[in-house]
Amino acid sequence: MSYGILVDTTKCTSCEECVMACAAEHQIDPQRAIKEKAINKDGLSAYRLSNIATISPGHFARKSCMHCLEPSCVSACLVGGITKSPEGPVIYDPEKCIGCRYCMIACPFHIPRYEWDKNTPLMVKCDMCFERISQGNIPACVDACPNGALKFGDRDTLLKEANSKIQNQPDLYLNHIWGEKEFGGTSVIYVSDVELSALGWPKTNPKSIPSLTEPLVHITPFIGMTVAVGLLGINWTIKRRMKLAAQNTPDKQVFNNEENSDD
Amino acid sequence: MINNRVRIAKDILWIFALSGLVAAIFRLFFGLGPTTNLTDGVPWGLWKVFNMIAGVALSTSGFTIGFLVYVLRLKQFKSFMKPAILIAFLGYGCSCLALLFDIGLPFRFWHPIFMWNINSFLFEVFACVLLYFTITSIELAPIILNGINAKKAAKLFHTVAFAAVIIGISLSSLHHSSLGSLFLVSPQRLHALWYTPRLPLFFIISAMAGGIFFIVFIKIIWSKIYNPAPVFGSAEEPSTTQLKSLNGSVCSIFSRRLPGPEMSDISKLATIGAGLLSIYFVLKIVDLFILGNISELITGSPESLLYIFELGIGVLLPIILIILPQTRKMPVPVGIAGFVASFGLVFNRLNVGIFGYSSDAGEIYLPSLSEWALGIGVIAAAGLVFMLLTEIFPIFNDRPAKTFVTNLFRKNFGSLQQTWNTVLSNSLNRISLLGVFILPLAFIFMYPPYKNIELSTIRPSTGLDAQRQVLQIDGDHQGFSTIFNHADHQKRLGDTSSCIQCHHVSLPGDRSTPCSRCHQHMYNSTKIFDHEKHKLAVTEDKQLNGLNPSNYSCVECHQTNCPKTTQSAKDCLECHRENMFLTNNSNVQLNSMFAVSFTDAMHLTCLECHKKEAVNLKNEHLDKCYTCHNSLKKDEYVNRTSP
Repeated sequence: MSYGILVDTTKCTSCEECVMACAAEHQIDPQRAIKEKAINKDGLSAYRLSNIATISPGHFARKSCMHCLEPSCVSACLVGGITKSPEGPVIYDPEKCIGCRYCMIACPFHIPRYEWDKNTPLMVKCDMCFERISQGNIPACVDACPNGALKFGDRDTLLKEANSKIQNQPDLYLNHIWGEKEFGGTSVIYVSDVELSALGWPKTNPKSIPSLTEPLVHITPFIGMTVAVGLLGINWTIKRRMKLAAQNTPDKQVFNNEENSDD
Repeated sequence: MINNRVRIAKDILWIFALSGLVAAIFRLFFGLGPTTNLTDGVPWGLWKVFNMIAGVALSTSGFTIGFLVYVLRLKQFKSFMKPAILIAFLGYGCSCLALLFDIGLPFRFWHPIFMWNINSFLFEVFACVLLYFTITSIELAPIILNGINAKKAAKLFHTVAFAAVIIGISLSSLHHSSLGSLFLVSPQRLHALWYTPRLPLFFIISAMAGGIFFIVFIKIIWSKIYNPAPVFGSAEEPSTTQLKSLNGSVCSIFSRRLPGPEMSDISKLATIGAGLLSIYFVLKIVDLFILGNISELITGSPESLLYIFELGIGVLLPIILIILPQTRKMPVPVGIAGFVASFGLVFNRLNVGIFGYSSDAGEIYLPSLSEWALGIGVIAAAGLVFMLLTEIFPIFNDRPAKTFVTNLFRKNFGSLQQTWNTVLSNSLNRISLLGVFILPLAFIFMYPPYKNIELSTIRPSTGLDAQRQVLQIDGDHQGFSTIFNHADHQKRLGDTSSCIQCHHVSLPGDRSTPCSRCHQHMYNSTKIFDHEKHKLAVTEDKQLNGLNPSNYSCVECHQTNCPKTTQSAKDCLECHRENMFLTNNSNVQLNSMFAVSFTDAMHLTCLECHKKEAVNLKNEHLDKCYTCHNSLKKDEYVNRTSP
């Protein structure tokens, strides 16, 4: 059972109750969560795990970790600190993190944020309230939304629901479910009446990023071995040619003995 | 004199190294935020991209020279082998040192040794670099051990030298291409001029070419400092036969001297580097064509200018300098070629790692003073170790450089001038003197600003809410909301000078306090004056000024010998003059200590204006309820009775 969140942006009124509930859940001071909106352009930061973006006047959408099905950050973290759980959320292990910040480079939505002001900083991002979900509860943001813009459930069921929303009101919704296929699909999917590229959604349907990098990583050791064998081959060939040339001209001291020469 | 050049070079390096030390201490104490200009938008900066990625790229000479000498068996480059190993060892060492400061949790640097993610290119880079650093240590060991006369130990390492070189070349080619592959994760974010599936290939070729030019540059600089004759030639006038041997093309711009005997090998090495650069150049242009991005070059955007600069200065210029026979054989132009090619390599890495991400990040990154200090400082420290080791051990010319440098310390206390010179010629004295000046300066200039956000006091509003074009005003979150076009009103009523027309009272330190801060209840007035807080504030104020607070508090605001009531109290503006703005709105009576209900506040502020404008603009809808109360539930307003 892989969970997800369905975001219906037509119901969002930018009240930001979800943002404040998220802050409360992660024990962030609410005043700080409000002020942190100004730190970065997209309103996310280490003390503000989700944000309501204004797409256009009257149209708002929630930006937070999309919990991709094939996450780039999971593939990128060199100590394996980020994992895709079978329940759906992409979760972070603060015990493993060394602070290299490669996950921040790897995410196509630019989600992971860093605690720059701390002396022992960690990476911060939404974890779909993994602990609450494990106890059978729903994420804090979904619980807090007063207008029903957020819905939590099994991803396949949510996809069906998204489709039926679009079919029932074709004049209202654009005929697209964001997150169904982009980057290999995400657990957080959107239906909307406006284009959502402002959240980082691409115009095309790109493949998942690990599918670009992982095949190359896996053949790297073999490339290394091939290079080593090739070098030995070149070296052997050249030495052999030198030896043969020396045998043909025995009276000329052309070559010193390279092996024992001083380094 | 040689001594002067050596001293000056070391002084400059010490200045940077000491500043770097101060920066390092600050980074460990204060963390990354206060000491660097890294942000969520630009998480990788100078230390990661310049020191680590570009630094190891420049240190590739270890494996390229090893390839030429041990695999291709080109004996003429044998004399470059020892310096190459030293450059590789120190280059990787200082790059990894900078990296240690860059990661957020330096004490966890050992994690990737035991925690593996084999899907990650960064893990591959880590493993390879670690192994390669071990290999360079093994290659360097015989040099050091021979130098300290531990011949048996040296022999031990010598037996594995060839294997070490082969493994080193394989590892190097792997991790340099993997450094390029790190950026394959960003097709959406890295600019089209640099993102390509062939990025690993370009990284390895440019690293090899740049590494060759870097050791050419180091060789020429080192010779200039310690032992110019073999490279720069003697001071005698060249004979006609000697001139002819150079094809009669002694470059008169730079020098009339004939170059020394070692220059021809340097030129040959530089030619190999130029050949690699030419291949690199052609491949890059062809790749742009294949991807259909060639038109990006002529857009005139900042990225296109950076790309042209990178290829022009870093690739074409060295190629031209090496192709022309006048410049190929002369040390100064070749030295310049070495420098610009190394610079071009570094610039390429900066473009890929930082500038190529700038338009996606939407912000420009400039390193802080501390970042520069530590970044240059670790390189300067490596340079100092390099100079020291070349002086003690036979790295260049098979002789320790000590033999070229006359005794630096001569005791001569005859006069004040001589005493001063004597004191200064002792290096320890010079370093200490430098330290006395540099350390405090560095401390003062790089002391991190306090960037933490204070949460206990009310801070000036950043006008965040005003960034939203349209506000949904729903005071009690019951779903009955009003759509208010904040940006429109602001523009119409006079931009930032119009704030006070609605935000008629701002709290101390605020520029435009939100309505709900004072008008806290939907339908009832609320008391906004906190008497206890004011009592405390006045008392504390007195204490801070060294006065006895006990008798002062009441009299500060209430007149003496009067009952302590609201009427006898001072007007708020008498103390809060600077930070409370008052509008001409006659409905506001500040002395009342009460704020009207939220609904009344909204209506009183808006309706007056709307009524006026309904007449002025002849728009009968403007002062009707439904104009503002236009949310989805608007029909209910029509029927709703007031509470």
